[in-house]
Amino acid sequence: MREVTSMTVEKSLGCLDQAAWEDLVARFGARMWAVARAFGLNHTDAADAVQGAWLRMVENLDGIRDPERIGAWLVTTTRHEALRLSRGRRGEVVSGHDLPDAVLPDPAAAIVDADFGRHVWERLDTLGEPCRSLLRMSVLRPEATYAQIAIRLDISPGSIGPTRARCMSRLRGLLEEPA
Amino acid sequence: MRDEYLLAALRMAAGADPAPGRVSADARAAFHLRLPEGIVATPVEISGPRGARSGGGAPDIPEDEGPAVRRFAVAGLTIDVEAVVADGRLEVAGQVSPASGAETDAGPDSGPSAEPGTGTGTGWQVEIRTSHLSKTRDLSENGRFAVGGLPTGWVSVVCHRPGEPPVSTRWMHVRP
Repeated sequence: MREVTSMTVEKSLGCLDQAAWEDLVARFGARMWAVARAFGLNHTDAADAVQGAWLRMVENLDGIRDPERIGAWLVTTTRHEALRLSRGRRGEVVSGHDLPDAVLPDPAAAIVDADFGRHVWERLDTLGEPCRSLLRMSVLRPEATYAQIAIRLDISPGSIGPTRARCMSRLRGLLEEPA
Repeated sequence: MRDEYLLAALRMAAGADPAPGRVSADARAAFHLRLPEGIVATPVEISGPRGARSGGGAPDIPEDEGPAVRRFAVAGLTIDVEAVVADGRLEVAGQVSPASGAETDAGPDSGPSAEPGTGTGTGWQVEIRTSHLSKTRDLSENGRFAVGGLPTGWVSVVCHRPGEPPVSTRWMHVRP
């Protein structure tokens, strides 16, 4: 993820101008959307998660001390908001005020990138079944229910969660191998 | 390597689900929601509901009923907020304390929370902000406010006092 934006590093975020802000939106908006949708959120909730991240930035402009990592901060904050919304939709009790603690940019957010994604697709396509089809569905149809996936892939709904976890683990293993 | 980040990278490479235009438009518009020189009040845990709609703590509702009140505070100012969705629209009520408490006539735009014959006239106002619409009300003498007809989603309350920096709550997500 290229982190240096048109916003100069020495300029504090508190004096961001509109052009620099729009540059951030253009550069990171798609990554934020992809992360929110990766949680299986519908369009409304995913839009709320992304907007939530921008609003957290609005309220933290003077508190973000590392402008060079603002992209990672935005993606990480989107993940926090998406996770909170996802848990709420599942009926889980969200503690406190529903408000996340201060977010530290997660360096792992750098992999949210189309170029890296193409590399991951190459590895994903080397997986056997049902991993290949299950992960393809997870990517391309994030809102699909377990019942829909079960019918499509002819596996039991109860096995989808554990199978997907196993498949993701295999995919991560492939990615850690030398090219 | 988080699963969601991997899935997101795959989604970006697939190019099948780009961010809708309205999501990008809202993100750009968020720039105008900055509050230069503003102070963000910190969330404070409170026990049980204490709704402004119920009279600011009057014991006329059971402890386990009514909308939850969220409290935000900075030195010298507390903002209590309760937000509910009714008929698909957002209603926000709350209380700023200490109230301005001035004994002057109500202004013409005192809003639904002002009681007849009270009002401030001291210039204390609350601004209820959403991503798409904001409404401003003069604060009543007792510091209470209520605003309806807002879009659901993200909301923040800002207290404006003459000669003081604006104090805002953090952004809260309210959607059924």
